[in-house]
Amino acid sequence: MNPVSAGAGERETIPYCDNCDDPAVYFDPRLQRHLCEVHLSQDVERRVIDRLARHGMIHDGDRIAIGLSGGKDSSVLLSILSRVIRERWDAELIAITVDEGIAGYREETIQSAVSLTKRLGISHHIVSFQSLFGTTLDFLLTAHPLRACTACGILRKKALSDAARDISADSIATGHNLSDAAQSVLMNYLRGDFERLLRDSSRREDRGFIRRIKPLLDVHEKEITLYSMVNGITGMLPECPYATTAFRAEVRTLQAGIEYHYPGASLRIIEGQESLSKQAKKTVRPGTVGYCASCGDPCSGHVCQACGLLQNLNK
Amino acid sequence: MRLQLPNGTTREVNGDPRTVAALLTGCDINPLEVIVTKNGRLIPEDATVSGNDEIRVFLVAHGG
Repeated sequence: MNPVSAGAGERETIPYCDNCDDPAVYFDPRLQRHLCEVHLSQDVERRVIDRLARHGMIHDGDRIAIGLSGGKDSSVLLSILSRVIRERWDAELIAITVDEGIAGYREETIQSAVSLTKRLGISHHIVSFQSLFGTTLDFLLTAHPLRACTACGILRKKALSDAARDISADSIATGHNLSDAAQSVLMNYLRGDFERLLRDSSRREDRGFIRRIKPLLDVHEKEITLYSMVNGITGMLPECPYATTAFRAEVRTLQAGIEYHYPGASLRIIEGQESLSKQAKKTVRPGTVGYCASCGDPCSGHVCQACGLLQNLNK
Repeated sequence: MRLQLPNGTTREVNGDPRTVAALLTGCDINPLEVIVTKNGRLIPEDATVSGNDEIRVFLVAHGG
């Protein structure tokens, strides 16, 4: 969808951008400011660049695998990274799309990913659950009483890691945003999962582990959607049919409600978790890292979660 | 005003001036979870809508 220009009469009812004379498309409740299309885009890009620099996420010579589902988050991430890296670093971007096999949903987002990578001139690899694991997510969920997002998350992570390893990537960039991250922290609290709450996948250096970077962690999901719309990156894409059944869906509603009534709460949740993680490193001895007896990936048990899941399905 | 919701349904609401946020919360929609256009233009949640405005509400699709 392409927004049309403002008529003179409409401007009376639409606030102006705080930085120029154009009509605002976004009100930032935390900073109490209005932004037009151009200044919203610049602000999003500035936050991504700040995070990349602040956390030393990219180094010259890096080969970065980007998990590109074709949805708005990863598409915006690829668009921004492709430009930022060209301007600031001598690094290579390679897009990897994982086709989980979700009928009526994945076809459209994969097509969007293919179009975007062609437009940006980025090398693109597509891997599928069917080719890697011999089944689709749809079939798995029909045949087995699994929690959709849990099973998909475990297998998608494995697929992305394997594909990144195949291209000798130094890091894997994913499109997790501020809203996602705040929800994950809340979910870990609600599950009482201390280990996951304190895990820092950006700094692990175990053999076989590929560093994970999340450059969109300072940007809200709504800001990413607006960025995508005003810059023509993706159209209106469908939502995963399994998304509404997840625990995350309930937590998402909770997080959005908290953020609406207490602007900045999501950012404070993330900052609190990062601070807690740093403090814990000083006092908590890191767990022993082992390697999966089946595939050799780093893991904390005898076999990794993906191999464990697949072995259980084959019993 | 004509209000088109993310589920595709359309409803007529009275044209009294109000903010987008007031319109949305009146429909039990959190403004953070949607994008809104007025007569085809993206608008922020504190913009005013009224009269015969055509309001369209898009869900922020999760994931991706």
